[in-house]
Amino acid sequence: MADVPSQGVQEPFDLIRLSLSERVFVKLRGDRQLTGVLHAYDGHMNLIMSDVEETIMIVEPVEGAPEGEGIVRAVKRNLDMLFVRGDGVILVSPPSRT
Amino acid sequence: MLIFSVFKTLTDQEVTVELKNDLCIKGTLKSVDQFLNIRLDAIQVLDEARHPHMMAVKNCFIRGSVVRYVQLPTSAVDTQLLEDATRREAMNQNKR
Amino acid sequence: MDSPSPPPPPEDSPPPPPLPSTSSGSPTDFLKAVVGKRVVVRLVSGVDYRGLLSCLDGYMNIALEQTEEHVNGRITNRYGDAFIRGNNGS
Repeated sequence: MADVPSQGVQEPFDLIRLSLSERVFVKLRGDRQLTGVLHAYDGHMNLIMSDVEETIMIVEPVEGAPEGEGIVRAVKRNLDMLFVRGDGVILVSPPSRT
Repeated sequence: MLIFSVFKTLTDQEVTVELKNDLCIKGTLKSVDQFLNIRLDAIQVLDEARHPHMMAVKNCFIRGSVVRYVQLPTSAVDTQLLEDATRREAMNQNKR
Repeated sequence: MDSPSPPPPPEDSPPPPPLPSTSSGSPTDFLKAVVGKRVVVRLVSGVDYRGLLSCLDGYMNIALEQTEEHVNGRITNRYGDAFIRGNNGS
């Protein structure tokens, strides 16, 4: 393979690599999302993050409201240092570099 | 392999494992394997009232695939070292 | 992909040909051909991500730019860059 410049995104994991030591947004299964500083990841998208805020979205059904709509309650929690198992990860978004 | 190594350095430290069924177990990390299966000693279930069947359990083996999170002791993690090791592993993956 | 895109055809011309060789070539060739284009990624959960496809790998991990998250036809989030884990696609 020709040597590629270290900057620039050639494959999806480059996006994650460039976010090391940055605050990232992670969307997880089970209506959970995290923001925290990324310190490690692997090919399964296992992550280690610090200074994490977890938000769990809980939809409480309202009588008469259509399916899937209701009051959405966000429950937040702070965690110092966290390992996140990769199989729960849906999406990772780095801080905007614009 | 990187994350496996990290867990190995954390043996005998106190961790809290949160399972995908919301059960939270705090205990001493006794061992871990390449699947991130975990053995915990001196365990304590966080919400005992909701999980009375766990009251008598003192140690356990957790299958890696049922884990959602593991809360780690911040002081035992060198974040700079982690980031360098992660970059190194990413480089090696690319060369593969 | 090096040449600038041609000007849009006049109104009454026949519709443009489909994306490069969708009828022949492997799925991999198709995916290579759509890199850099606007795409919709639908997850098994039904959530859509619309954005510019920057790249993807053999596990179908996907990197998008200027991404909009659509749930039930409504935009629920925007991300400058987004990495989508491969097993979630649809």
